[in-house]
Amino acid sequence: MPEQRVVDADYLLLEAPRERKFITGAQAMAEAVKRANVDIAIAYPITPQSEVMHLVGDIWAQGYLKDYYRAEEEYGAMSAIAGAVRGGARAFSATSGPGLLRGLEAIASWPGHRIPAVLGVLTRVVNAPLSIQPDNVEISYLLNCGMVVLHAENQQDVFDFTLASFIISEKVDVYIPIAVCTEGFFVTHAKGYVNMTPEDMKLPPRDPYKAPVPPTDCEIPPARIQRDAPVQKSNFMSYLIHAVWQQEIWASNRRAMKYIYKYLGGPIEVVNPDAEVFVVASGCAAAQGREAVRYAQLEGLNVGLVKVKSICPFPVNEVRQVLSKAKAIIVPEHNIVGWLAKEVKAAIPNSDAVIGGPRVYGGMTLPVELIMEKVYDAFGIKKEKKVVV
Amino acid sequence: MGLEYVRISPGFEKYMPKDYVDLVQYGQFGKEIDVQQLGQFKELVEEHPMCAGCFMAYFVRVFYASLPKPEDTIVIGTAGCARLALSQAAVPFIYGNYGDTNAVASGLKRALSIRFPDKEKDVVVIAGDGGLIDIGFGMTMHSWFRREKFTTIMVDNEVYGNTGGQESGMSPRGVQLKMAPKGKQFDKINAVELAKVAGCVYVAKLAPTNPKRIAKTVRRAILAARHFGPTFIHAYTSCNIEYSIPTEKVLEDARKREKQDFGFYEWMTDEVKEFFEELERKPEEVKA
Amino acid sequence: MKRYNIRIAGVGGQGVVTSAHILGNAMSAAGKYATLVPFFGSEKRMAPVEAYVRVSDQPIYEVGEVVYPNVIMIYHPQVITHGKSYTMPFYSGLKENGLAIINTDVDIVPEEDWVVLKELNTRVYMFPATKLALDIAGTELATNMAMIGLFFGITRIVGFEHIEQAVKERFLGNTFVASGGTTALDSAIEKKFKKKMELLEKNMQVIREAFKVAEERGWVEEEALTT
Repeated sequence: MPEQRVVDADYLLLEAPRERKFITGAQAMAEAVKRANVDIAIAYPITPQSEVMHLVGDIWAQGYLKDYYRAEEEYGAMSAIAGAVRGGARAFSATSGPGLLRGLEAIASWPGHRIPAVLGVLTRVVNAPLSIQPDNVEISYLLNCGMVVLHAENQQDVFDFTLASFIISEKVDVYIPIAVCTEGFFVTHAKGYVNMTPEDMKLPPRDPYKAPVPPTDCEIPPARIQRDAPVQKSNFMSYLIHAVWQQEIWASNRRAMKYIYKYLGGPIEVVNPDAEVFVVASGCAAAQGREAVRYAQLEGLNVGLVKVKSICPFPVNEVRQVLSKAKAIIVPEHNIVGWLAKEVKAAIPNSDAVIGGPRVYGGMTLPVELIMEKVYDAFGIKKEKKVVV
Repeated sequence: MGLEYVRISPGFEKYMPKDYVDLVQYGQFGKEIDVQQLGQFKELVEEHPMCAGCFMAYFVRVFYASLPKPEDTIVIGTAGCARLALSQAAVPFIYGNYGDTNAVASGLKRALSIRFPDKEKDVVVIAGDGGLIDIGFGMTMHSWFRREKFTTIMVDNEVYGNTGGQESGMSPRGVQLKMAPKGKQFDKINAVELAKVAGCVYVAKLAPTNPKRIAKTVRRAILAARHFGPTFIHAYTSCNIEYSIPTEKVLEDARKREKQDFGFYEWMTDEVKEFFEELERKPEEVKA
Repeated sequence: MKRYNIRIAGVGGQGVVTSAHILGNAMSAAGKYATLVPFFGSEKRMAPVEAYVRVSDQPIYEVGEVVYPNVIMIYHPQVITHGKSYTMPFYSGLKENGLAIINTDVDIVPEEDWVVLKELNTRVYMFPATKLALDIAGTELATNMAMIGLFFGITRIVGFEHIEQAVKERFLGNTFVASGGTTALDSAIEKKFKKKMELLEKNMQVIREAFKVAEERGWVEEEALTT
């Protein structure tokens, strides 16, 4: 292991030189953890997440992390993350599909406990019948927790989002957890080019005293809320305490937006802003959307892409502005419920322009050709069923 | 830092609540307290909303008076009766989700060890039979298998008291409770033996009939956890409501159970035994 | 712009996924682009295996299995003759003007399939890759090398040196994360070849020979010849 030196967070995230590597999404996540000055990582096996946490285990063995262990199950892992973060450590874990749901009670309580942890979510089918394929329906379960939910398109995003999340989550005016989601297999097990910061530089350590809710470490008076748990109070006090606490969490979630602008170049990316028809997509569906824009260009069709990087906070204003004149809005997704389409519809006044789909589920691949069918529909083009290049 | 964070910044004494000022001036912090002095000093927990005559509340009170270093102790609890008092104490308290205590404590203890390798910070879980042996069973066991260095105290009232009197794994066989309308169908779980095989270095079982013995047991469990590994105390803390024990008969009931199945029991590894033999020869060092 | 969306079909033990990695790494060595997707399932000896690789001289964004390939590589004749494949028939989804490389020494494509392939204007290359592997390297385990050798021999999208670099990375580098099964297989192969370097050299010979085959039979793509 090279000697790592602490550098300024803004420097590391925005200016440090980068080296291009051809690596898997799992490697990209572990490489980000390596540079994030993480104190402890807690793992529990599940396909396809395991590879990330194997690699994180390896970097702990090399000395990049101070502690690491395999927990008894996800509920235990996520609860221990809460304990470690309350104790002032910087902590990381990752999980997938059924594991996420098993840990969800603990994870959903992180924002309320003001736990600035970073969680990798490498999506997989959650519902019976059993499968391990990369359906991303689990992200919809995260959207009401209060945590920040980012959705990475590719290996580069996985690296950038993960590294930046440690800094964004610990901002005093944010101080809630961040889930960095990406599709299992399609991204975790596939290789792509990733421009990475130098291996010998790391983020500054967590300063747990720069916090709206102090750590529980017997070095500083603990948070008052611990003694005044709403459950101890009369109904009206209980409602009130819990209500204001939730309001503050959701306000914190919205305050993360300015840091998403600063460190991730904004919550959306727009390709061809003057398009007539838009594909709005997140995660690796955005990659398919990019190819659809290219296919459309080859055929002389004016199609654009809105890639949504931040699902929560959802970029309502940004999306509304870009889509204000869209003739049709195609939302391809890797799940049956269409959670992104719902978010888009709720955000814009012209929601009848939204075409919910194409959707593939069960972890199926999302061929660009399926998106193109919707594009042809949007332009009123009748095509023979013939494949296009 | 410990005592430092407890102390009042000079000049602020008159602005702090009287309770707090009393706690610093006449409380346990930085002092050697004998549990038999209860009532003669400002206690860490005084007001609590537990039922009148609750023996668990009494146990919790004695527990706080027994802490070797309250200023460097963090208590972790979970849903249930005990946390009603635990959250009112002048010791940092973490209240997570139901049954998560031993996982949270694992993460917390490790974080504290990373951040303060040269300081002693005690982590103590106090949770009920439901939290530790039913819903949290896996996490309780695995924290012991992993040899996490904190103390687990089970305040066993043999019932889910807080949710209205349902059967727990620690209820005695045959007892009729909610969710066991025909009586409990299987035996009370042997938590002490589980703790021993799972890797605890110090295990004790008691009925709280003798405050001095409670204090010694708690102190030993915390010190052994600080230096060696997981420790466990199984305490009988009856539910006078669900088991219809008249308030004035609570102690009598505890004495009866002590004779029956809660006789004082203490087990420790040879290493821990040696440690206490050495330590208790020179009692002035226990505080150090 | 060149863009090959490749679907590889073979059977467990042939190194289908390994060769997909080498294809991708060779593109990377040449400063070009590739994405690869292994089939996600449990792997068993002689059970169907698929891998998908996209290669191009331009960035590639698309992910997932290649449902509509323009290159199909069949590593084992049983994929066609026994239907040992997740994709049936083997050419399903193949786009017009595509490429099919089949490891066989006799024509195993049924008549009705030929009709479809001709309709799609597919260039079909039948090539005895296993025989070549046995002749040159003395083991059928090098079949995958012959197959990717022929692919690169036809398309010439990367130089020989890039392939060599990728093969080296695979057999000598420690960056490749292999499954337990692959590691066990490696040690079996290693015993046969005694030395890793020897293994590498044999593999390169197979690839070189496959390049030659493409040239001798006039299969090299014209566009590639000019660049």
